[in-house]
Amino acid sequence: MSEHIVKSYEDELNSLAAECVRMGGLTEAQVADAVNGVVKRNQELAASVVVRDDKLDEAERDIERKTIRLIALRQPVADDLRRAVAAMKVASNLERCGDLAKNIAKRTLVIIESDPLTPLTRSIERMGKLVLGRLSSVIDAYSRSDLERALAVWSQDDEVDEHYNALFRELLTYMMGDPRTITACAHMLFVAKNLERIGDHATNIAEIIHYEITGQEMVGGRPKTDALQV
Amino acid sequence: MPAAQLYAALIDALPDPILVVAGFEAEDLTARRYILANAAAREMLRITAEEGMLLSAVRDPVVLTTVDAALFDETDAEGAYETTGAQTRSLRVRARWLGFGHDGARLALLTFHDETEVRRVERTRVDFLANASHELRTPLASLSGFIETLRGHARDDVAARDKFLGIMQAQADRMARLIADLTSLSRIELDEHVPPRGVVDLVMVVGEVVEAASPLGAQRRVKLDWRSCAGASMTVRGERDQIVQVVQNLLDNAIKYSPDNASVRIELQSGLSDLAAAASQEGVPRLSLVAPDPSQETYAALRVTDLGPGIARQNLPRLSERFYRVDGQKSGARSGTGLGLAIVKHIMNRHRGGLVVASAEGEGSTFTAYFPMAHAPEGVVKAS
Repeated sequence: MSEHIVKSYEDELNSLAAECVRMGGLTEAQVADAVNGVVKRNQELAASVVVRDDKLDEAERDIERKTIRLIALRQPVADDLRRAVAAMKVASNLERCGDLAKNIAKRTLVIIESDPLTPLTRSIERMGKLVLGRLSSVIDAYSRSDLERALAVWSQDDEVDEHYNALFRELLTYMMGDPRTITACAHMLFVAKNLERIGDHATNIAEIIHYEITGQEMVGGRPKTDALQV
Repeated sequence: MPAAQLYAALIDALPDPILVVAGFEAEDLTARRYILANAAAREMLRITAEEGMLLSAVRDPVVLTTVDAALFDETDAEGAYETTGAQTRSLRVRARWLGFGHDGARLALLTFHDETEVRRVERTRVDFLANASHELRTPLASLSGFIETLRGHARDDVAARDKFLGIMQAQADRMARLIADLTSLSRIELDEHVPPRGVVDLVMVVGEVVEAASPLGAQRRVKLDWRSCAGASMTVRGERDQIVQVVQNLLDNAIKYSPDNASVRIELQSGLSDLAAAASQEGVPRLSLVAPDPSQETYAALRVTDLGPGIARQNLPRLSERFYRVDGQKSGARSGTGLGLAIVKHIMNRHRGGLVVASAEGEGSTFTAYFPMAHAPEGVVKAS
């Protein structure tokens, strides 16, 4: 950054949040492309997701560096401290989402070598859309400091689990029916699991927003559906 | 009208979304602001102010790169952009370098051109052909099989001929229903990103559909328990014909899966928040098949409850998939095209509404369709 720009403390905090939002946009695009890659069996798209993951890693490092610098130099307290810490934590959750998207893309490259599993792909598409919607919603909530929207994301965590459980059974049926699909199905299982974990990160971010705005931790357990319940 | 006002009105009235973006240093993210957004842009990006931080309106990397190219490299740039949310739109985004503003800010013009329809037409045609050719194959094969038999050894067998002609008639009817449903589904899908303009009284529509369905109910020995709110009206934003289709399909399904002498409950509720409308009885597995983008709207909900066999939890997510049938129950006594709920889903999404199913095996099912209300009544019911 050019040395001659002397920024105010408030500006620094705002630009930290802005960088998180930009990183959020990048993450959304990565997740969307990863899902599209696996659904449309698009090798090029999947490969581009793998390459672009570096950008997210760099963005996270950058935000972390700036946050630490801000904390060291400005010694923020109360609201300001929470905003700074929240930025760093949001960035780290987004970076994890990026890693999971990259992993989906890598598996896509293997999955497209076997025959298409159309009904399964539809289920993945549906789950991907749901998870992406939650991620967008929570980044919207962060950028607008909208507590109500963050809480809505937090309280609807169980829907993703519902889709994951259904997909899990669907995959089992496939593998039992035709052992030749096991390789592709096993990768699909991880794709679904990764999507479910991206959904968990969205819930984490909702919790961070709650803490950032109110200073209180979320109380009470998350609305969870037991993933292993048969 | 003075020239300045005329220009302002002109820009606001343009159908394509337009933003003017100002920026100073390439590194300074927060200084990149939109200083003008016309009505179409505000609607698409879901923003209320005419100016603000660019990142608060749009954060898509393609759009941001396009803007930066125009702002800082002073070149024209373009890219493809897809909005998130319940109704996705495909847009072509173009940025043009405008020069410097009076405060020394760099200015760029950002325009969006909607390509949703072109993409949709393309995809819908592919889907239609694939579905039609796949689904028509079975009844067609059966028809030609019977024709062959009738021309062959069954030629003079009167009893067999009557029986075969009956089956052929049923297959032909099924093909006709399939084509009708597929055509209607394609049409709805094409318009899905265009919000309906009309206003419909839900109480009246539901009343009419229930009345029209009562002969079918009587024939299947199912009682229709319509809790009509006589005299009350509940206006929602929507297209009458499509709302009729939603009520009809939900009611048909409920009747189809009801056991003998059971009743189907039809209820309406108004003045709900989105979370309250989507909520259901505690402890019953539920899933949203369509959910609107979060908003401050109030909703009116239609709930249709049957006492049928219910749906296993793991089958809930696939319910609105076209041609999906739980446990592969093909045709038989409960013949349908397998498109009913897919049609309902697309209509609800076009209406910016939602669709929720709550069901447990052996305990019946409740389908809730909720629409944004045209006039919000006093006192919105929030989810507890």
